Amino acid sequence: MTSSRMAVPVADGGAGAQLLQPGRPPVRRRRGGTLAGWTFLAPNLILSGVFLLLPLVLAIIISFQKRESLGTPEFLGVNNYLDLVVDPVFWEALWNTAVFTICTVPVGMALGLGIAYLLNGLLPGRTLYRSIIFLPLVISGVATGVLGSWMFDQYNGFINNLLATFGIDGPNWQSDGGWAMFSVILMTLWQRVGFDMLIYLAGLQGVGQDVLEAASIDGATGWQKFRRVTFPLLGPSTFFLLIMNLIYSFQIFDTVFAMTAGGPGYSTTMLVTYAYQTGFGEHGSGQLGYAATIGVVIFLITLVITVVQWRANKSRDQVG
Amino acid sequence: MDLNRRNFLTGSLGAATMMGLAACSSVHSNSADSTTSSSSAAVGAAGSSTTAAPSTTAASGSGVTPSSSAPSSAVAVKGDISFSFWGGSTGETAGFNHAKKMFESANPGTTINLKIVPYDGFFAGIDRGIQAGNAPDIFRVDYTTIGKYSGKGVLLDVSPYFDAAEIDAFLPALWEGIKYDGVPYGVPHQTDTTCIVYSKAAFETAGITSVPTTLASAWSWEEFSAVATKLRASLPDKKFPFAYDWTQAGAFRWLSWLYQAGGTLLTPDLKKVALPSAAATEAMDYTKSFFTNKWTPDSATIKTSQYSDNFFLSQIVPMSFIGDFLVPELADPKSGYKGEWGATYMPQHKAAASDLGGNAIVARKDTKNPELAAAFLKFLVSEDIMKYFCEQAIELPTLKSLASADLKYAYRPDVVKICAEQASTISDTIVKESTVGSFASINTVLQDQLELAFHGKSSADTISAIASGVTSALGS
Repeated sequence: MTSSRMAVPVADGGAGAQLLQPGRPPVRRRRGGTLAGWTFLAPNLILSGVFLLLPLVLAIIISFQKRESLGTPEFLGVNNYLDLVVDPVFWEALWNTAVFTICTVPVGMALGLGIAYLLNGLLPGRTLYRSIIFLPLVISGVATGVLGSWMFDQYNGFINNLLATFGIDGPNWQSDGGWAMFSVILMTLWQRVGFDMLIYLAGLQGVGQDVLEAASIDGATGWQKFRRVTFPLLGPSTFFLLIMNLIYSFQIFDTVFAMTAGGPGYSTTMLVTYAYQTGFGEHGSGQLGYAATIGVVIFLITLVITVVQWRANKSRDQVG
Repeated sequence: MDLNRRNFLTGSLGAATMMGLAACSSVHSNSADSTTSSSSAAVGAAGSSTTAAPSTTAASGSGVTPSSSAPSSAVAVKGDISFSFWGGSTGETAGFNHAKKMFESANPGTTINLKIVPYDGFFAGIDRGIQAGNAPDIFRVDYTTIGKYSGKGVLLDVSPYFDAAEIDAFLPALWEGIKYDGVPYGVPHQTDTTCIVYSKAAFETAGITSVPTTLASAWSWEEFSAVATKLRASLPDKKFPFAYDWTQAGAFRWLSWLYQAGGTLLTPDLKKVALPSAAATEAMDYTKSFFTNKWTPDSATIKTSQYSDNFFLSQIVPMSFIGDFLVPELADPKSGYKGEWGATYMPQHKAAASDLGGNAIVARKDTKNPELAAAFLKFLVSEDIMKYFCEQAIELPTLKSLASADLKYAYRPDVVKICAEQASTISDTIVKESTVGSFASINTVLQDQLELAFHGKSSADTISAIASGVTSALGS
């Protein structure tokens, strides 16, 4: 797009188009413009370089080392990666993370969309409802986890005490792996649905009333208007949320760690929880190299998911 | 994808690179290096069979304790140093503040900069500081972690600052706890261990009319099982007889059952794992039965966010194994235990045993002012300062003279007395095994495997997995 504005293709009748640069600015002006451009870019480049690229490169380097929190690192080649392939805890953590992601991303987005759709109308007190639903998002993940551990305490927690008042024997939220995972998913949804709602609300504000009126005139029902008009126009919001939620779910740590510490057994151990316990757990083994290897694998998985999504939704960001 | 020459060559090159990289090293991340696999106490206690006990019945020491006014070198110290610790309680913080104030007034021209850091992430911060060269000059470290630092050669050797009489003033096993390859790194500051607390009302309801009042009469495993059975029968389904303090980093406290069964984790030279053994099988079967018999809540395993004192305070269990440092929490008039509670000793089987709790204070080897650091370490373990600290923090002293003294504990001195007696069951073997350089890695193995065992993994498989993990951690 930029080049078509700056350059004019000229047909020379044979060897193809040549680009003629119309009205080239004087050299000094160009240099000044370049300098200004770099000046504007520099803060971002420096910050990205120091806080994003450098740690990434270092993490990849460390993943090839036996490195503990003290002492001199030792080059291991790909041994950390080979160990990871045969490490059953890694595969269990990967499976848990996949289950957690599959359960939290679509459900969270569907809930967020539903709530946003409801609160987008002329509902009395909608600002209050929006604030209440958004509130959990501003609570830290650790606090959410601690709150969850209290609520889902299987012997003395709010949920089971509440169920008991109805004569229901509550599940073993802490000692049964399946229920423990379910409780973690519930707490995560509680925290995240406000974010999904907010993004969808912003998207809904951009859906023109004229388009919906046109659909009504054409005889579309309420569901058809939502399915055929509103939802497609929310494409960029959905795409953004999908990527963000997938990354968030794959990198879940604080809520799970504070709520279940990865137990019972390894049933709620996620990839990042496993990496943390391996590398940084207090009184743990302090295997920073192996933890970095897990981190690199998380990065690669997230990268693949993002690229696949990006390609599958290439046209979506042009819609709406 | 079609296989063409380019793809084939690329694949071959990639495979060759991988094989080449793999061949570069036979070392793996979870194997110990030579510097950390040896024992912190390999030299041993010179044949001493003395326990770690600040036993109330122990004979008083030689009477020579580190001076409270000046280091034995008698060199005037000046300058400033930093001291980092986690404030486990207001009592501990008060104790350290008192020491700072007294030291600075006794040594004009010195400043001790106290840094109170949360326990979570404390050692990660120390490690980063050591790597970056800006770690505190002095820091607090528990006995089960000190080997990680002494094994890496980052701590100050304090042997030039302590003469034989001053060393003799400490309970021998605790002095051994701060040694690595026979060299002392730091000072044993305080100790604590596990004892049992119980609800008097619940015991009465269950028909348990008496509890052991002396260490010698502590319950046998059979008697303890009978108590648990009686409590089980008297409690509703959602309440349980007891909880044990093996949560998360406390997993190593399971070893008390192994020692009670007459076993050990490591061979006497501390170089190899001593599992599998009949004692380990017995201890594993017995502790697994806590869950199958419904004596312990299903959720009171290793990987949980609730600790044994939480279960006791919320009255899910009427009996709990706790460290004596938790006595102030239980005795707190507002948030403490609601109801009358007492304390008794850990059960015993073929032997009596408990865990090595407590902390040492160490200085960095590259501290800019080693004389001042050593002087402050000595000051912290001087009799008056240690006495004040232990009384404030409800913890047990490490000096012989104080072990037999009558400390004025602010809360429940009767309970602290029981814990002090219990500490006499921390044998030299327990101290040596708990302070090996790779104990942190061993503790991780215990956390993972015990959690699986308490959720159904067989005793044989668990012990085999622990043996394999410990062998890997030791690098043997």
